[in-house]
Amino acid sequence: MLRNYITTAWRNLVNKKFYSAINIIGLTIGLAVGMLILIWVKDELSYDKFNTRVDEIYKVNASIGSGATKQVWGGAPAPVAFFALKEVPGVVNAARVITSYDYGTFRYKDKLLKEDYGKLAYVDDAFFTMFDYKLLKGNAKQPFPNDQSVIITESAAKRYFGDADPIGKTITGDSKDPYTVSGVLVDFPANSSISGDMLFSMNVKKKQYNGKGYWKSMDEDWGNYYTQTFLQVRPDASTKAIGDKLTKIHMAHQQGIKPTDGVFMLQPLADIHLYKPDGSQAGMQIVKVFSIVAVLILLIACINYINLSTARAMLRAKEVSVRKIIGADRKHLFIQFIMETVLCFAIALLLAFSLIYAVMPVYNNIAGKQMHFDLLNANVWQVIALTIIVTLVASSIYPAILLSSFKPISALKGKISGAGNATFRKVLVVCQFAFSIGLIIGTLIINRQLNYIQSKQLGYDREHIFSVEMHGMQDHYEAIRAGLLTQREVLGVTTGDNSVVNSGSTTGDTDWDGKAPDVSFLIHPFNIDKDFISLFKIKFVAGAGFTGSKSDTAHFILNETAVKLAGIKDPIGKRFKLHDLNGIIIGIVKDFHFASLKQAIEPSIFAYRPTSWQMYVKTTGKDAPAAIKAVGKYWQQYNANFPYEYNFLDDVYNNMYKTEQQTGTLFNIFACIAIFISCLGLFGLATYTAQVKIKEIGIRKVLGASVANITTMLSKDFLVLVVIAIVIASPIAWFAMNNWLQEYVYRVDLHWWIMAIAGGVAILIALATISFQAIKAALTNPVKSLRSE
Amino acid sequence: MLQGMFQEGQMIKITNLEKFYRTEEVETIALNKLSMEVGTGEFVAIMGPSGCGKSTLLNILGMLDDPDDGSYVFNDIEVAHFNERKRADLRKHNIGFVFQSFNLIDELTVFENVELPLIYTGVPAAERVKRVEEVLDKMQIMHRRNHYPQQLSGGQQQRVAIARAVVNKPKLILADEPTGNLDSTNGNDVMELLTDLNEQGTTIIMVTHSEHDARYSHRIIRLLDGQAVVENIMV
Ligand SMILES: Nc1ncnc2c1ncn2[C@@H]1O[C@H](COP(=O)(O)OP(=O)(O)OP(=O)(O)O)[C@@H](O)[C@H]1O
Ligand SMILES: [Mg+2]
Repeated sequence: MLRNYITTAWRNLVNKKFYSAINIIGLTIGLAVGMLILIWVKDELSYDKFNTRVDEIYKVNASIGSGATKQVWGGAPAPVAFFALKEVPGVVNAARVITSYDYGTFRYKDKLLKEDYGKLAYVDDAFFTMFDYKLLKGNAKQPFPNDQSVIITESAAKRYFGDADPIGKTITGDSKDPYTVSGVLVDFPANSSISGDMLFSMNVKKKQYNGKGYWKSMDEDWGNYYTQTFLQVRPDASTKAIGDKLTKIHMAHQQGIKPTDGVFMLQPLADIHLYKPDGSQAGMQIVKVFSIVAVLILLIACINYINLSTARAMLRAKEVSVRKIIGADRKHLFIQFIMETVLCFAIALLLAFSLIYAVMPVYNNIAGKQMHFDLLNANVWQVIALTIIVTLVASSIYPAILLSSFKPISALKGKISGAGNATFRKVLVVCQFAFSIGLIIGTLIINRQLNYIQSKQLGYDREHIFSVEMHGMQDHYEAIRAGLLTQREVLGVTTGDNSVVNSGSTTGDTDWDGKAPDVSFLIHPFNIDKDFISLFKIKFVAGAGFTGSKSDTAHFILNETAVKLAGIKDPIGKRFKLHDLNGIIIGIVKDFHFASLKQAIEPSIFAYRPTSWQMYVKTTGKDAPAAIKAVGKYWQQYNANFPYEYNFLDDVYNNMYKTEQQTGTLFNIFACIAIFISCLGLFGLATYTAQVKIKEIGIRKVLGASVANITTMLSKDFLVLVVIAIVIASPIAWFAMNNWLQEYVYRVDLHWWIMAIAGGVAILIALATISFQAIKAALTNPVKSLRSE
Repeated sequence: MLQGMFQEGQMIKITNLEKFYRTEEVETIALNKLSMEVGTGEFVAIMGPSGCGKSTLLNILGMLDDPDDGSYVFNDIEVAHFNERKRADLRKHNIGFVFQSFNLIDELTVFENVELPLIYTGVPAAERVKRVEEVLDKMQIMHRRNHYPQQLSGGQQQRVAIARAVVNKPKLILADEPTGNLDSTNGNDVMELLTDLNEQGTTIIMVTHSEHDARYSHRIIRLLDGQAVVENIMV
């Protein structure tokens, strides 16, 4: 029985090579792409979930300010963890992670290696018991025997020590501080929000408070929101209550704190990858969009299958009827058609697997991930099972029911109720094209926004400027600057402690005459030298820049937004206080974008400092290599212990939009694939129509119809469907994309002609697909087609 | 009222059978209060001008279609109001069909075409092979067992179709112009086969336009406008 079903299914597949090929290619691509996207989605959703206590661990975020200036930070002051453990009921455990910028290199014997920024961290001992990060070697209960201990990851150990046992070996940070390896950590999983190469004891950080500063000790420092604080709470505890209690403790301990500042909120560990600290969607939006895209692509592929098999059912009516007449039940026929679908699927699935394996490296590259497609992995099978069950149900039940429900005798005569399901097919084609057109519109708008980001006048010039961290060069800056400026290829040199491309820091520690007592005002501080503003071509709207004179140390330059938000009238010459420094405002610069275009321009302030840790060198496109070499010479001279490194601001800028670029690229690809699969189906349907109408075409030709007449006759119906799809898809896509653009404070406008272009493209592609078959049919010699009947 | 000549068993009795076809503007009466009987073991030919309702009658007798009114008793069971499922079940165990246009399945070989009814009635594989070979032998197309229908002549195809119709040992064979697409030699072969089957006890009802073929039967029922008009009994 089964054998018979399979042979019949197989022969049907082989005999109808053209349709089988279209079906299988469509399904293969649909399945492969659908699965690839779902693998990506699953990867995104899996972040931090490997922790057994993921449901009990929360990160402490802090809300600062109120109303329009309200910001929620992902960091918390160090004492939060201390007091949470001591005084807040419901808190079981607490661990802080503080990224360390204290060292740039480590030396083991004569091996000197650079450690990237952000890869070093101070952690509390509880880190090793709270999370699931595993120590291969070392003691999780007492990870750091003393303050000079370091725990390194497996791959870092390999870099320094090769295959030798790392325990007890000593590495030296920036040629001064020795640390002995006390543990080896399994590398942080790729889907971990916390990652790094080396972990140091929190005590090292604590000792950096020598009691002489404003903040006497780490656990009294309520002013710096620099720790990632994780709390493990009892499952029945209220996170709101814990947050409120922490806020109260904060109010009690820090003098002069405003009730709107330092309000603490707990964010579930499972959410920190996909949601911003304030709870709004970050990556989650893309995850949702891509899930939808995956489903759409799978649907498009299924629709192809349904359309082609139901269309062909008409041609198979005779076979089905004969089977019924000689005794086949509905059940038999049903199983037979399901079997055909299953066979088609099995082949498509095999091909899809091969395709996934083949494109995985490229895909990882584009997506910027390290995903694996491992057939033995349960996750992969979950994705596959879901995909297949949904697709199978959607694409086999309907054709099976349709085919098995023919009235045998009328089908034998070629009279099947074709009208009803021709409508159904039309609806499906409309859906398919609506999806595709929606994706085209999405792609066009995303690309426009990305172009806009690329070409937007940011209010400063970042062209051919690279940055270098000075380290030892800082003490010799004046000489180095003078030396570099004598070189033809160096157009300018300046220093500053904050990046114009993406300013990292803000402070609320400001004052001016007329400042309302309870207002929170956050400002981005830039410590710069006298050349900074002119090198970056930032424009003045009032006053002037620093000259390098002694008095500049008490001078400030604000941006327009700062003046506006602070509400300072006639600012030039007015008093302004930043931290401990009381000075006067000497200039106002035109607003420029020192952060992502997703954010509105915020207040910024420039203070004068003759040198800072970062040097910027402006060169030209042609001379860049020579300029890099020129700076490299000084590097050799003063920083021999550090590997030479420089960053072009253009790259830094592009990096800021990397996610957008990746999303854009993926979206482009997906849209093309959707269109391709849709067209494949349309091609099949057009072929079918031409085949069914071959006699009609023959007769019409004998009666004098031209090739153009017949091509129009065959193409018209399909084009109407595409037009309907455009009408349906445009408003929906408009709405969705408008929503997406809201994320950007600075964005492109939506124009009706984007819809027109998308529609035009769809029509052109569809027309090209259909007319190929239509023209072919129209050119066939009528004698041939009439005889074949 | 037409009476069957073999009174010992009555297989089919239809009374006042009516069938209409309604299209948008016209209503065709395909069968108009038709009554007739067919006895077990009879060989009946149905003749009449084109459009008089022969195929319609055969389809109703074969339970492929249902009448609009009247009664149809098959082997003492009233089947006129049976639903699709019940009819299909009765059909697959009792009735074999032979068509003018053979209606073989192009994707299956001769053997597989003949095997199909056995599969659908759930005969075990070993038994199937035996029975298919037996019947192919009888139809003298054993040597073509692995060929596909397109590779056979019309006469051979019709022999396969007959083999398929009889492989389940049906009590009744319904043949709609079985020789219509064949030349006279092949046509006569097919008629001989049907006669043999009838002599072994199978009831046969055959629609034909050929007086020559009709002479193989015991009795001819002539239809005109959906009604039986004449009955000739062969000697
Ligand atoms: N599906 C249908 N819809 C409408 N009318 C039909 C249908 N099938 C048959 N008819 C009509 O019913 C009548 C009887 O048709 P039927 O096919 O039984 O004739 P027939 O005697 O077999 O003719 P022929 O010798 O040409 O095969 C005809 O007038 C035909 O037009
Ligand atoms: Mg007929």
